[in-house]
Amino acid sequence: MKILIIEDEKELSSSIADYLIQEGYHCESAADYYSAVEKTELYDYDCILLDITLPGGNGLSILRQLKANHKMDGVLIISAKNSLDDRVSGLQLGADDYLSKPFHLSELSARIAAVIRRRKFEGSNIIRYEDLTIDTLSKTVSIHNKNIELTRKEYQLLLYFVANKGRVISKNAIAEHLWGDHMDMSESYDFIYTHIKNLRKKLIEGGCVDYIQSVYGMGYKFSLP
Amino acid sequence: MKLIAQYNRINIIAILFVLMGGSFCYYFIIQRVLIAQLDDSLKVEEQEIINYVNKYHHLPDSSTYKGQLTSFVLVPHPVKKRFFSTDVYDPADREYKSRRVLLFPLSLGPKQYAVSVSKSQIETEDLLTLIVMITLGAVILLLLILFVVNRLIVKRLWQPFYQTLQSIQEFDLYNRKPAQTIDTSIEEFQQLNVAIVDMTAKAIRDYDTLKNFSENASHEMQTPLAIINSKLDLIIQDHGLDEKLMKQVQGMYDAVGRLTKLNQSLLLLAKIGNNQFVAAEQIRLEDLISEKLFQLEELVAAKHIRIETHLQHTPVRMNRYLADMLLSNLLSNAIRHNVDGGKITIQLDTATMTICNSGPTLPFDAALIFDRFQKSDFSEGTGLGLAIAKQICDNYHFRISYSHRDDLHFFTIWF
Repeated sequence: MKILIIEDEKELSSSIADYLIQEGYHCESAADYYSAVEKTELYDYDCILLDITLPGGNGLSILRQLKANHKMDGVLIISAKNSLDDRVSGLQLGADDYLSKPFHLSELSARIAAVIRRRKFEGSNIIRYEDLTIDTLSKTVSIHNKNIELTRKEYQLLLYFVANKGRVISKNAIAEHLWGDHMDMSESYDFIYTHIKNLRKKLIEGGCVDYIQSVYGMGYKFSLP
Repeated sequence: MKLIAQYNRINIIAILFVLMGGSFCYYFIIQRVLIAQLDDSLKVEEQEIINYVNKYHHLPDSSTYKGQLTSFVLVPHPVKKRFFSTDVYDPADREYKSRRVLLFPLSLGPKQYAVSVSKSQIETEDLLTLIVMITLGAVILLLLILFVVNRLIVKRLWQPFYQTLQSIQEFDLYNRKPAQTIDTSIEEFQQLNVAIVDMTAKAIRDYDTLKNFSENASHEMQTPLAIINSKLDLIIQDHGLDEKLMKQVQGMYDAVGRLTKLNQSLLLLAKIGNNQFVAAEQIRLEDLISEKLFQLEELVAAKHIRIETHLQHTPVRMNRYLADMLLSNLLSNAIRHNVDGGKITIQLDTATMTICNSGPTLPFDAALIFDRFQKSDFSEGTGLGLAIAKQICDNYHFRISYSHRDDLHFFTIWF
């Protein structure tokens, strides 16, 4: 999968690239308006991460150009502005999603996976990981073709893990993904623990290996043990 | 009252005064002129009689020649010459008719006569009446024409003003278009139009400046936080990190999280204060409250809080984001500052909304509760939640207040 990172902050851009490369994506980056335009015109990408505030031009006009050229690249807007106007106009112009800074890289990764899924696979959206099969259209999970019942939060958690398989995900990131701004950190840790416990139990009972590993003092990792 | 009506009224009163006053003067002047004219012709008669008497040494015939009556009366003493008007009975027409009389002394030999020469005053009076009628008619006509002119033409003259007024009323800062004005040849309206266009353009510029400022501030502050966060995300991938380091990283994550929230809250406060949330829609508050409770259900369940709601259909015209924020802040406060097994009661109707929760008493003065950064020590929040809630309420001229009764905290909003 090819990702284009259009972001003028070099540190941020390289962090994102590092993380995504370890996830298995192929990454390219552009740090200003003109190189971004050049790259989008010359190449196709599975997902473009677009920062709106760019030196040399407005990121939204790149989006407009992409749509005008009928390009099928997915677009995820990342912006520090967090302005409702920008959010609305971005989505109206055809962006697939909008993520405001600062965000956790694991959140970014999960959103990119969602954008690519939506764009690439018209029809069924099946994610497979080892023995797990997740159907994102019907929102069902099955192990060896046997369905297992998950609560909404457990399903979201599982999807999040699979999108960031092999990565260490901090509790903060999980809390933000599941509850956004509604909860303080201290409140959410207990809940996370409970949900993880239940999810683990259901997966093991369904016949899976325990993919969820605790990383002490930090968070969790979803991978083969 | 409308300007035209006001103007008309003053106009008409002034004109009436002037015309009435003028008419009276006019009447009396004309009357005097006409009577003086009559008197002059009587004087001519007087002279003729005197000449006759001087020439022929006897009185002429009393005649009713040319409508004038002459009479000679013997008197013991000479009379004083004078003019006067009198009514004389006319047996033919059986009515009194007024005449102008000149009485003067005449001596013929030793005899003294009082001679009266008179002419009919009726024609004079008729003339006067005619003149008064014409004048009155002219006055009425003038008033009528003024009225019509005021109605039709003045209204048309004011048209550019009404158009400008309308475009001011239609001016919407959110649409970012300066007020439109129509060209006009009237200097005052031209000036008005220029002033309005300038003013609205400036308002739009100021709004954009403010908006850009808060957005740029957001960008500048959030970007370094984003960088730190992303580096932390990468650091924890390193398998070599031991527990102690992991704990430090966790601490950093939390700190960045708090900074981010703080930053966002402060910017939100500024934006609300700057009126940057203009877009409003009809919101069903009762639905929004239910939604929020659903989102917070895990928190509620974890603290074993009982929730009681009395929600009536309450439509409010507000910005959706602000409404969401307001309810979020109030409800999560009610949960956070509650005890295990506590209670929350929400009452909503078209006049008020009251959220009441059990919980420990405030460790600070209740009057300060809506101040920024006012919070209890055990709370992890930014201390801005209620300040934001109050700012939103101020924006919509809602009144919000806090009170404490029977170990319960009450937050009430009056719409």
